[in-house]
Amino acid sequence: MQGVIAAFHELASAVHAVEDLKKERYPEITVYTPTPHHEFDEVLARPESHVRRWTLIGGVLGCTFGYWIWIWITRYWPLVVGGKAIVALVPFTIFGFEVMVLVGSLATVIGMFANSRIPRLTQTVGYDARFSAGHFGVWVETPPDRAEAAADLLRRHGATEVRHER
Amino acid sequence: MATTAAPFPPAADLRPNVASADVHFPAIKTYEQVDNEVINTMRPTLGWFVLLGLAILCMLVGAATWTYQIYEGLGAAGYHPPVMWGVYIVSFVFWVGIGHAGTLISAILYLFRAGFRTSIYRVSEAMTVFAVMTAGLFPILHLGRPWKFFYLIPYPNWRLIWPNPKSPLVWDVFAILTYLTVSATFLFVGLIPDFAIMRDREKNPIRKQLFATLAMGWRNSDKEWRHFARAYLFLAAFATPLVLSVHSVVSFDFAMANMPGWHETIFPPYFVAGAIYSGLGMVFTIVIPMRKFFKLEHYITLNDLDAAAKMCLFVSMVVGLAYLTEFQMGWLAGTSFEQEYWWNRAFGQWWWAEWIILVCNCLLPLSLFSQKLRRNPSWLFTLSIFINIGMWFERFVIIVPTLSHEFEPWQWSTYAPTWVDYAILLGSFGWFFMWFLLFIKQMPVMAMSEFKELIPARMKHAAGEGGAH
Repeated sequence: MQGVIAAFHELASAVHAVEDLKKERYPEITVYTPTPHHEFDEVLARPESHVRRWTLIGGVLGCTFGYWIWIWITRYWPLVVGGKAIVALVPFTIFGFEVMVLVGSLATVIGMFANSRIPRLTQTVGYDARFSAGHFGVWVETPPDRAEAAADLLRRHGATEVRHER
Repeated sequence: MATTAAPFPPAADLRPNVASADVHFPAIKTYEQVDNEVINTMRPTLGWFVLLGLAILCMLVGAATWTYQIYEGLGAAGYHPPVMWGVYIVSFVFWVGIGHAGTLISAILYLFRAGFRTSIYRVSEAMTVFAVMTAGLFPILHLGRPWKFFYLIPYPNWRLIWPNPKSPLVWDVFAILTYLTVSATFLFVGLIPDFAIMRDREKNPIRKQLFATLAMGWRNSDKEWRHFARAYLFLAAFATPLVLSVHSVVSFDFAMANMPGWHETIFPPYFVAGAIYSGLGMVFTIVIPMRKFFKLEHYITLNDLDAAAKMCLFVSMVVGLAYLTEFQMGWLAGTSFEQEYWWNRAFGQWWWAEWIILVCNCLLPLSLFSQKLRRNPSWLFTLSIFINIGMWFERFVIIVPTLSHEFEPWQWSTYAPTWVDYAILLGSFGWFFMWFLLFIKQMPVMAMSEFKELIPARMKHAAGEGGAH
């Protein structure tokens, strides 16, 4: 993987640089930002996060398990009280709800990890500690023949530092 | 500089990621300032060591007393028939309640886009986790054979027996464990971007490695933020009904029993309101000193305290309404048992406890109608102590008067906690504050990355000034 990484001091410069990189049809652009900004979302136009599918699947599985485990247990070890149902769905709704929340939440976090590709053992090429503080980073993955043009574009937009990385 | 892009709008026109119309931080100019000032709070001080030592001492007193109780039996704890639920169950409900404000502030106010939550939600979340950890100890302390607590968990076992799923005590196990897990997960997920900041700033190699491990390779990329924002939203959406369900389930411990003063349909919302109220009281108790000693007045502003105080006032009135409704339901129930019970609670044997809660939880918070007092941290702190006391006694008044004044006059009795009860209650505060004090010096007490959303990003025309406003 090779490309160009640029550090920006100002939000506007970074957003405009990304906008122009998109117009120049650079296929793979990643922005590093200390905190989320809608301006980058709008320029990058990424698809909707898939985390919601993990949440849905986790929630449905959890709810099903919460009901099933107690239906199975009460049938396996019935506590017979006169006139009372062995399998009582109303109280089991508490378990269905709690396990839905538990498994759904954990599935959401696992989905976030899987989609974000974390845990990651090594830092990505080009990452800089400044990007968690006050600077914005723009990483452009590009073949060597277009790298210099990308670096020029980033410099024109006011990047404080531009580096070729591989 | 030549660009084909449209002109960038001025800073005032940028859309914030969280609603920030009601929050302003004029003293905070740059992202770096947020990092530096929050990280500075993590340096241990002499006062912190003294407080931590005191908390550990209290915890050890509680642990030693528990050892004594295990040796002597539960009789050492002041139980005698018919009052077989006492300080331990009172404290269990109290600590679960404390745990509710954290999720209210971090999850429910997040969904409502209340900007003032940003500066206080991290400590509130931590408070939630430690309060639920404390609450979870009490049912175990309350067992004659505490080492068999795991019998309540349904798993295939050599005993070939299973817990009764129609018992509220088993519902409690699921509700509390789920709440603890989800709250801890919520806290941890919110901390990941801040761990990355710590990893990038830390000089000590051991701590740097620790934060690098906890950050799991987080690098603030737009893809990570996209998934993070979605996951955080769903976690908040899960935590919101969860926080309402947990104390509802705790209330079922009482409401499912056919006892005077307990068998009421109002209990679930009444318990939830009380839980949020007591949690808000504890938030004030810990946030106001922290704000002063960590010099965070420009982060946790008077506007934030004012907004939290308004919420506290509103919840106090909900709790007051619940008290009045309970009295009315008892009076109109048409049974002498209920009427006798309520008379005994308000004007008889337990009048002093009842009037403590009415004064602390209903009367004193009315002072928050005054804006001057809402913006007075000393008064808010003082009031929060009264609220904590009032809410502990609320649970006392719910539990003990019912058990000491059941249907038959020959069952009527009284209850007096022993030194064992008091020592273990003290130990629970030591346990809670030990974890909390360790937290505030090892982890950032404010969500740095989320706080930065409230600070206008640096723009071109202000590049040399370090901020654009």
